[in-house]
Amino acid sequence: MRYDVTCKQAGLSALFDLKGPQADLWGWAGDHLPPMPARPNSLTRRGGRSLYHIGPRHLLLRTGIAEEEALERALGPAAAPPQISIVRISDTLTFFAVTGRDADQVMAIACPLDLHPAVFGADAVSHTEAFGLKAMVLRCEGGFECAVEQSHGDMMQDYLNRALT
Amino acid sequence: MLLIPCPFCGPRNESEFAHGGPVRARRPDPDAVSDAAWVEYLTVTPNPQGPVQEHWWHVRGCGTWLTLWRDTTSHDIVKGPDDA
Repeated sequence: MRYDVTCKQAGLSALFDLKGPQADLWGWAGDHLPPMPARPNSLTRRGGRSLYHIGPRHLLLRTGIAEEEALERALGPAAAPPQISIVRISDTLTFFAVTGRDADQVMAIACPLDLHPAVFGADAVSHTEAFGLKAMVLRCEGGFECAVEQSHGDMMQDYLNRALT
Repeated sequence: MLLIPCPFCGPRNESEFAHGGPVRARRPDPDAVSDAAWVEYLTVTPNPQGPVQEHWWHVRGCGTWLTLWRDTTSHDIVKGPDDA
């Protein structure tokens, strides 16, 4: 059986790993961030930027790669106060878009997370595992995005190809 | 398969976690205990029949370390983390 799914490796995104108390992060960089997600494992968007709440006192800021340098200058990671951490990690994750009518079925093979819309809604984002690899999963138009460590990109592509056939 | 209650993420599959071992007594001062007691502390892992308090690390999730009680006879989680 073939699934009605398209798996496409996405290009680079500008990614910044943000850690620290929320008040300190907003005090330093709040002008450049979308609103704080209301719940754990959810995201917010504003002006082309997305903010993922992926762990206790741990956020991920994502935007287009063209904005990377300007955003890094604005965030000023080198001068940030010691209680917070801002690190550019754009090169560390490879994103895959799994889209199509059967995207949920392929993702059900890949990862143990309950991805039913009632549980994993449009604003959900979470670290979990995909084919045994640590992965970050979120929804995108027509399916899901799945990000794995960059060095696992080829392996993930291979796993996805095998799942599709 | 265990469904482990993570304080940040909620119930998650056991495969997202790494077992961190049982919660143990505080490390004794090696100069203040006998050699036998020190060797016992270093090499003997508590393995009771019944509830045991364990550390788990949500290594493929949010990164939280949590502590729960698991019954070694039934594999049931009898008490989750306090804030889960």
